[in-house]
Amino acid sequence: MIGKSVIRKEAWDKVTGRAKYTHDKLQQGMLHAHLVTSPYAHALIHEIHFEKALSVPGVRAVVTGKGLPLTGEDLRDRPPIAFDKVRYHGEVVAIVVADTPIQAEKGANLVQIVYEPLPTVGSPRAALQADAPLIHENLGSYEKNDHTYPEPNTNIAHRTKIRKGNMEKGWSESEVVIETSVAFSPSDHLAMETRCATAEIFPDGRIEITASTQSPFMIKKLISTYFGEDVGKVVVHTPLVGGGYGGKAPVQLELLAYLASKAVRGRKVSVWNTREQDMITSPVHIGMEATVKLGCTKDGMIKAAEILFLFDGGAYSDKAIDVTRAAAVDCTGPYRIENVWCDSLCIYTNHPYASPFRSFGHCEQAFAIERAMDILAEKLGMDKLELRLKNAILPGHTTPTRVLLNRSNVGNLPACIKRLRELIQWDQWQRIELNARTVRAKGVSCSWKTSTIDTEASSGAIVTFNPDGSVNLMSGVVEIGTGSKTVLAQILAGKLKMDIDDIHVKMDIDTQSTPEHWKTVASRGTFMGGRAVLNAAEDAIRQLKAIAACVLRSPIEDLEVGYGKVFVRDDPAIFIPIKDIAYGYKYPNGNAIGGQIIGRGNYTLRHLTPLDKETGAGKPGPEWTVCAHAVEIEFDKRDCTYQILKAVSVVDVGEVLNWKAAIGQIIGAMSMGLSFASRETFLFDRYERVLNPQIRTYQPIRFGEHPEYIADFIKTPQIDAPYGARGAGEHGLIGIPAALANALSIAAGVPLNKLPLFPEQIWRAQKGK
Amino acid sequence: MVSFDFTYHRPSSIEEAVQLFASLQRQGKTPIYYSGGTEIITLSRLNLVFADAVIDIKHIPECQSFDISQNQLVLGTALTLTAIEETNAFPLLAKAASEIADRTARNQITLGGNICGQIFYRETVLPLLLVDSDIVIAGKSGVQQRPIHEVFQQSIQLQPGEFLVQVKMNAAYLTMPHVHMKRRKQGKVGYPLVTVSALKKGNELRTAFSGVCPFPFRSPKVEEMLNARHLPIDARIDYALQQLPEPILDDIEGSAEYRLFVLKNTLWDILTELEEAER
Repeated sequence: MIGKSVIRKEAWDKVTGRAKYTHDKLQQGMLHAHLVTSPYAHALIHEIHFEKALSVPGVRAVVTGKGLPLTGEDLRDRPPIAFDKVRYHGEVVAIVVADTPIQAEKGANLVQIVYEPLPTVGSPRAALQADAPLIHENLGSYEKNDHTYPEPNTNIAHRTKIRKGNMEKGWSESEVVIETSVAFSPSDHLAMETRCATAEIFPDGRIEITASTQSPFMIKKLISTYFGEDVGKVVVHTPLVGGGYGGKAPVQLELLAYLASKAVRGRKVSVWNTREQDMITSPVHIGMEATVKLGCTKDGMIKAAEILFLFDGGAYSDKAIDVTRAAAVDCTGPYRIENVWCDSLCIYTNHPYASPFRSFGHCEQAFAIERAMDILAEKLGMDKLELRLKNAILPGHTTPTRVLLNRSNVGNLPACIKRLRELIQWDQWQRIELNARTVRAKGVSCSWKTSTIDTEASSGAIVTFNPDGSVNLMSGVVEIGTGSKTVLAQILAGKLKMDIDDIHVKMDIDTQSTPEHWKTVASRGTFMGGRAVLNAAEDAIRQLKAIAACVLRSPIEDLEVGYGKVFVRDDPAIFIPIKDIAYGYKYPNGNAIGGQIIGRGNYTLRHLTPLDKETGAGKPGPEWTVCAHAVEIEFDKRDCTYQILKAVSVVDVGEVLNWKAAIGQIIGAMSMGLSFASRETFLFDRYERVLNPQIRTYQPIRFGEHPEYIADFIKTPQIDAPYGARGAGEHGLIGIPAALANALSIAAGVPLNKLPLFPEQIWRAQKGK
Repeated sequence: MVSFDFTYHRPSSIEEAVQLFASLQRQGKTPIYYSGGTEIITLSRLNLVFADAVIDIKHIPECQSFDISQNQLVLGTALTLTAIEETNAFPLLAKAASEIADRTARNQITLGGNICGQIFYRETVLPLLLVDSDIVIAGKSGVQQRPIHEVFQQSIQLQPGEFLVQVKMNAAYLTMPHVHMKRRKQGKVGYPLVTVSALKKGNELRTAFSGVCPFPFRSPKVEEMLNARHLPIDARIDYALQQLPEPILDDIEGSAEYRLFVLKNTLWDILTELEEAER
């Protein structure tokens, strides 16, 4: 069962077009919302006139931001609907609710708003200038949690500090020092399904939300926290989700749907993003500027790292704070460095606000570090993989936040590098000139990631039995397209020693009946959800054995469960089929004992701690997955154009639970990394308005443009994970942008430190422009 | 979502279409001719196009014509780009069509729609300019055939109520040496940084451009310079680029200076390819 390429449980529904997503669930009598959004990136709102909108037939209400509480997960800085002023292009200023989507849109077109444009802030470095306009004047008075440190009267929403070792010592031991800066603007996730939600408020106060989200349980909690609703009265439903990539981790449209429903006396209201709105109104992929300084001995042992991450969190901090903290936690990349100074800042700009993006701050962090590693190797005249191998982090070393690594909580980076080296034939060639114009080059990188999630985050699972002995599995992990629910079924099938076809997976989430899984983020579905499933299975096994012990007149400890039976260990001929006890047991005379078997389990990550404010010391996550990546390109020296020929990721996943699903995750992640690095970016005008919020002009990589992908695995088990499996949903992506930039830098003979790598960008770098 | 209501009309003859347009206009409506509909649909959901009546001309037989005789090729304007590409009657046009948008869109976009579109690249026009084609236009005063150079100046010059029925060209052009090069910001799909179509009629090189200025064009002055065969190629290109009708485009696809760089290289490639073929 473990490792088999089981076809995902929802596959048949998906390939026949029968799978239902949030926006497919239209209902008679449902109202529709249209969002009125800001054409300015920074402006005062003087007046909002919506009388004309209200006069459109079918328009029921116009909701504005007046009197609403501020929201935000770590720092409450965001009005759900802008009031007083707008801080990014695309920000919601009003919601028009009507009988049909068209009426709502017509109404929205008639809402008149008087703005007074303000000077804008267009990059993190600009935001730090002494004379930069303040985006949040009241930063000092916002509510926040204990581990968020805004700096009032600046544009800094949060700063994470890492102070490890002794920098003076590190620099004094360094014989070779390099410094480099990198940058990229915000971009988007472009999930196929745009974000959407519905809300309905019932006369008894029950609030039913249906949302395309990675965080159904967080929606429930936040609606309670923000609006004072009883948490038990908020019920969130999440059907299949058409891609999340972190963009559906934040809670945004759900709040709007709730507010809109409230404005029409609780009627059901649907809020649904057009593609254009989804790209800029809802949270985006974070931008970053960074400077990395590395020092090492002549033989390449890194002694010191000074790292400054300036993240473009956009207009509101929300999840961006957490993303910038995650980048700090793993700031050095997977290398043993004793002396580390890192400041990671979440900075306000007048850009769309940021959310997690697959790998949660790591592909960003890795781009900075891995460019620096290549530049260091060049200065040393050392082989690029050799330098990485030499400094590879190993059991016995400590992370930047001083977690001591052991054979379980970190994967085997040298093994990943070794395998990569073979797969890309590194030792045969690294750069070859095919002719006067064409050159091929290979770029490499390494990466790692732990999952920085709340220290008390937990996951739950329930298994119930059917009369035929088959099992129902309910877990709070959302099926966002990763096949996680199928992997959980495999884990359960393995534990119960039963056929995967006899495990029925509940796909939809209903927060009232589905046990909670904190959020479907951070590649934690398999680990936390899997542990919860194993616990639930143990619980069910205990119950099955208890009944079987009576029926078989045997001590419980002599019984085993498997193959549809409970049997006596040393004499399997004595058994009872599970179907005969799944609902209790009925004796021949009609007496009955027991009842339906309901197994329950949960799991909370253990021993996690918040980071120390001054030094960053703390245990942010349970384990580190490590990876090695390579990208091979063919570069046209005259035109500065290129083809991506091959992308390779070797990931130490601990154990592969579903081979094809794992390969699919790694390849999918690589393609996202290549797309981000080669072509995805928002383009802003000088007033910080987004010029390309359309797939027409914001073009992701397309079918037919993909290179050859190679995904491979190393298996160093994480001892306390289900079957030793580590997180793998994001890792194929982390080092890919850096590997592409490294390959092109080698080919073009000029450092390429800005993404995305459009040929024009390379041409400019060569011209020194 | 398209936020305005419109009536849909499907005439089966040219006369019916023209009359419909006139009568809808008399009723105070804003009619629009409709063929593939890709631009009307995508721009109207952004409120960049408005019409309260659409007249679908795809079902008019003349608009679907595809006739090739010894002397002449006739293409109906309602032929899809995919059809133009697959029938390959005019290889240069087929190549130009095949590089527009993506396959799904090309199954829908029509030749006439691409010529008349608001989105200014209109790359199928380039081969049509090179072969001095004629355009058959229907309108109030009946059906008339006019040279493309007369009716296409930066964009199609039509009177209200007129629509394109066919494109006709001399068959002798179809087999002449030609090159079509589209250079994009990145990838294999999308708008051009620059697109250049070139055709050689005997010793005369003809070129037409898209993406260089916010309209497609063919320029006698540019061609004169490119044909100054006594000069080396790079000098001819430099002189030709001084004759562009407008300053080079500077937008989100690429800056003006980068476009110029790409255009120079593209012209170099085209001249070398066509002139090397002579040897």
